[in-house]
Amino acid sequence: MNDIAEDEIAGYVAQVREALGGVPESTREELLEDLPEHLAEVLAEGNGTLVERLGAPSAYAAELLAAAGLHLPSRRDHVSDLRERLLRRLRAADLRVGPVLGYPRASEFLVLLRPAWWVLRGYLFAMVVAHLLDGSDRVGLLPRVDGSLLFAVILLGGSVVGSIWLGRRGTPTGLWPRYTYYAATAVLILFALIGFGAADLDTRSPAYVDATYSGSSGYENVRDVFVYDSQGRLVEDAQLYDQSGNPIQLGSQYCGDTESGETWTSWHRGYPRCPEKNPFRSPAPSGDPLPSQSPSPAPSLSGPAPAPSASVSGPAPAPSPSPGR
Amino acid sequence: MLCVDTTQLLKGVLDLAVLAALRDEDGYGYDILRRLRAAGLQDVGDASVYGTLRRLFTGGFLNTYVVPSDEGPHRKYYALNAAGRAELDRNGKTWREFASTMNDLLGDRGIV
Repeated sequence: MNDIAEDEIAGYVAQVREALGGVPESTREELLEDLPEHLAEVLAEGNGTLVERLGAPSAYAAELLAAAGLHLPSRRDHVSDLRERLLRRLRAADLRVGPVLGYPRASEFLVLLRPAWWVLRGYLFAMVVAHLLDGSDRVGLLPRVDGSLLFAVILLGGSVVGSIWLGRRGTPTGLWPRYTYYAATAVLILFALIGFGAADLDTRSPAYVDATYSGSSGYENVRDVFVYDSQGRLVEDAQLYDQSGNPIQLGSQYCGDTESGETWTSWHRGYPRCPEKNPFRSPAPSGDPLPSQSPSPAPSLSGPAPAPSASVSGPAPAPSPSPGR
Repeated sequence: MLCVDTTQLLKGVLDLAVLAALRDEDGYGYDILRRLRAAGLQDVGDASVYGTLRRLFTGGFLNTYVVPSDEGPHRKYYALNAAGRAELDRNGKTWREFASTMNDLLGDRGIV
């Protein structure tokens, strides 16, 4: 028998098994025990797929049940079966997780936490009420309405006490009261998730705002920074830091020539990015702009100017000999 | 309109038919289906036969044994045991009486 046939048989059996979902497991497996072998015979016998020869797996399952003297499971059986299986899983998990927490069952530990949940529920309820009464769509930490702390405290206290009182009464007994109770709890939890998510983002977001982006800093239009020393000389490749030692990012890495319109990326790692755009150029207008014959210590000169010796004038892009230092 | 449907009739006697198919010779599922069809029960469904076999086996009327096969899958053979033979005899008798009653009834009216 080839693999394709085996796959076909396995698939068909699986679908029949699924259609027999409501049958007790032992009966079902007993019923299906020989089916693969049987289907292999059917397949070996002649032409056509299993579905062509035997019909849909669900119809096959129905016929099988009838012949075996069982009845097709109703929908209700199906649902209760699913519920039963789910509960069994939960019980198993309950037993397994319990010892990790130091209790025979995890549920015993959770029962102890119940009053804590009542308090939290009261708080969440107060937050929802405040949110509905207050116009603001931002969620804070206290249930303030129009910023009133007194109102927040009264509402919070009342809600928590009410929630504890409700909790001590136990779950409502009627069908509808119980459904309402569960639905309200679900809404509270949903609100809590969304609200805390939003509040958390609100408290974090200032960290992301720096001078460049905050609308009121006044630095939005800064494209470059020029630093001058006490002699009015341009400082090249200056690094800027704030009080916490974080580098201050201002402007962009691009330089542009207003006349030709061309732009290029600056290779300077500090400020100014574009020294040739120095707004206070010509601080030394008297002919020879830089009378430099000093050796001009290298650190202030970066890049392409390899130690401008004596009489080189002008061409170096970074004309800052800084003789004083 | 009254409708005598072979499938309906078959439901009542499929147990007996399967037991009878195994009277002389053991067989595996598909084998038994073939015998029933060869005997004239064209409408019998695969799942019905398979299901009936499982039920008769669970009911204690059949024994099974596996025969390894070289070219095909292993086959589970079904065989009548003592209980199965007794059941066949008893039900066979019931059927014969029932059939003869029906024949008489139909013959009296001159329909056949």
